[in-house]
Amino acid sequence: MDPLNTDLKKEQILSAANTIRWDLGMDFHDTVIESIYEDASRIARKSVKQKGDKGAYSMDLKIDRIVTSKWLGFPLMFVMLAVVFWLTIAGANYPSAMLSAFLIDYLHPVLNHAAASIQMPWWLAGVLIDGAYLSMAWVISVMLPPMAIFFPLFTLLEDLGYLPRVAFNMDSLFRKAGAHGKQALSMSMGFGCNAAGVIAARVIDSPRERLIAIITNNFSLCNGRWPTQILIATIFIGSVVPAQIAGLASAGAVVFVAVLGIVFSLVVSWGLSKSVLRGEASAFSLELPPYRPPRILQTIYTSMIDRTIFVLWRAIVFAIPAGIVIWLVANIHIGDLSIAQHFIDWSNPFALVFGLNGVILLAYIIAIPANEIVIPTILMLTVLNSGLSGMGAGSGVMFELDSTADTASILHAGGWTLLTGVNLMLFSLLHNPCSTTIYTIYKETNSVKWTVISTFLPILLGLAVCFFTTQIWFMIMG
Amino acid sequence: MKIPFILEIQPGAMLIIGLLLMLLMFWIFWPKRGLLALLSKLKINNQRVHLEDALKFLFDCEYKNTICNVNSIAGNLNINMEQASRLVERLISMGLITMNDEAIRLTDTGRSNSLRVIRVHRVWEKYLADETSMAPADWHNEADRLEHFVTVEDTEKLAAQMGHPVYDPHGDPIPTIDGELPSPKGKPLNQMKAGESGVIIHIEDEPKYIYEQLVVQGLYPGMQVYVIHVIENKITFAANGEEYTFTPLFAAHLTVELLSDKAPEKQKHDLLSSLSMGEEAEIAGISPHCRGQQRRRLMDLGIVPGSLIAAEIKSASGDPVGYRVMGTTIGIRKQQAEQIFIHRKKENHYESNE
Repeated sequence: MDPLNTDLKKEQILSAANTIRWDLGMDFHDTVIESIYEDASRIARKSVKQKGDKGAYSMDLKIDRIVTSKWLGFPLMFVMLAVVFWLTIAGANYPSAMLSAFLIDYLHPVLNHAAASIQMPWWLAGVLIDGAYLSMAWVISVMLPPMAIFFPLFTLLEDLGYLPRVAFNMDSLFRKAGAHGKQALSMSMGFGCNAAGVIAARVIDSPRERLIAIITNNFSLCNGRWPTQILIATIFIGSVVPAQIAGLASAGAVVFVAVLGIVFSLVVSWGLSKSVLRGEASAFSLELPPYRPPRILQTIYTSMIDRTIFVLWRAIVFAIPAGIVIWLVANIHIGDLSIAQHFIDWSNPFALVFGLNGVILLAYIIAIPANEIVIPTILMLTVLNSGLSGMGAGSGVMFELDSTADTASILHAGGWTLLTGVNLMLFSLLHNPCSTTIYTIYKETNSVKWTVISTFLPILLGLAVCFFTTQIWFMIMG
Repeated sequence: MKIPFILEIQPGAMLIIGLLLMLLMFWIFWPKRGLLALLSKLKINNQRVHLEDALKFLFDCEYKNTICNVNSIAGNLNINMEQASRLVERLISMGLITMNDEAIRLTDTGRSNSLRVIRVHRVWEKYLADETSMAPADWHNEADRLEHFVTVEDTEKLAAQMGHPVYDPHGDPIPTIDGELPSPKGKPLNQMKAGESGVIIHIEDEPKYIYEQLVVQGLYPGMQVYVIHVIENKITFAANGEEYTFTPLFAAHLTVELLSDKAPEKQKHDLLSSLSMGEEAEIAGISPHCRGQQRRRLMDLGIVPGSLIAAEIKSASGDPVGYRVMGTTIGIRKQQAEQIFIHRKKENHYESNE
């Protein structure tokens, strides 16, 4: 056939098709979907027989009437989530201690000895063992157990069909903030791990609400930050109240920070939906699937592989280079002082305006791979900077102390006050997400713009909150 | 050690400095009115905007068979006569228009140029209406702003993404890439006679204040209208069970395609949001105000005319409500449930509840 002729025909067909489409009018897409449904339901009526469905469904309805009832809905939800968090925190202590005893207390000195026996240069041993290995070991021992408990529990609730009901109940609150009810789920997931929370935002199918959920996930106080909050609250808040209520006061302070995080998450969601995300597409619908017995083994397997190992792997990948950097800044000297000390001296005046100090700023920069290593880094840097002798494990070697009182004495020696403690707690809530989360945000949004916004927005908020806290504090304290 | 200067500032002064800094940031980043937004507006090339707007206007006159002169260009573009005549001279020198006596006509090149601008405008309007959550009254203005600096390639990519739409959200046909456009259909509402019925196929989006009022009144393309009576300076018609009375000036902004075979629907639809728990109804349709992704989603879930829907559970806070449709339960917010029309069944069968 003549190719020119076929081309001509093709043109004619296309232009004919176009003319017809104009005649079809505006709502022909609707007509197509309607006729598909009509056909489908006609076929289904002819060939599908239903039996027993009604009974099973009425059971679902009964459960739904309870878990979504006006009086029982919210209390049930809080109890359920509290149990999950309690199991996570209480259950993770023991395996964490074991992992840390093995990887840090046992294996780390063994490796150091081995390096010495093969006469490895001290700087190479420092970079590899005190830097890279220690940081990786730390991340594994503090991150793995809570995640290995939290994720399967959370996934079980999801599999059971309960979580969609939480979203259903919480939706009106999130709707007022311009967000999606399912953000309640990604937010709760964020209390376990922000990277997993960001991934969990996939369940939100509306582009605008999904972005909001991703950007604000960092305001959920993650597993890596709870220990920091508890430690600092015990040392600084607990010590200013009478001893009988010290425990209560510090626990209250930690809960206050976590609730503040939720408030920030809602307020920022509202702000985003009214400003930068105003025009983004938005759609709402929430499937309420039938309840079913959870598939326990499958759930544990998938939550371990998809969430725990996945997040842990990303954390390790970032922890190794960061460990090297941590060791190097503490050990490379320019003049008399190490790079770390130069930075701390230089940034101290600036940091003091925000009620923080140079050590904290540096720790948050170099401990970016995981919030879990912020406190060990702060301790190491404080010892390094204030030249405390007989403390710590050597420059560039992160450490933690078993006794809270010893930790407190190091921090007091570093010049910390109650104000520093309060600001650290605030800054720990409001700062950039860890590098694992940042990378995950980039992967999920595929956009540099949103990644940059999610990274710097919390820092700006954190600095602003610390600044005003500090200056008002100074005004009142005179 | 010397105390750094920054630490010597009094906390009170510091607080004021902090507040000022925050204000400054707000002023810079505030959407639409902030410094950044203003700077980006400055970048727009005014000359190109005027040229393209004039071409669009000229094509519109040609399409509607009205005469166009320098005066009407000045009026439409909101510029003075001097600017308008300079603009016309420029268009003539570019070979895009010809002028006979007073009447201005497009040349073939001018026509294909203006069709290109119109295509870009309408494709973007369609995009803004369907793929963003921008308010209906803003579609036209935003597209007016965008059409002058988006590229033809980007627009074509966008059109392909949306499945090559042929109508914009106001019911105007979108010209093809080759510049084809169907001849106008229907007639303005002010020319209809009492007893005639039809479907709104187009709502004129200029001038803006009239368009906005029509939208606020709840009129949309695809709506059935039935003219009740026409007297001098007043036309009264029914649409979706409501009665409207317009002056001919307003009515002329609605284009209606006459229906002869279909009996007009006079009954007003009930809304899904009015169902009480346990009540079942048949879906009559989804309001055209519910567009794009949200509409597709609802239809995918089985919310199509004819299917049965029942309100089942209320969330702990009262909104959203879980509806049972096609064997599954879906939570739908009140705002969306108010855009879904239903037919109530004659006898309501209540299940036991609460």
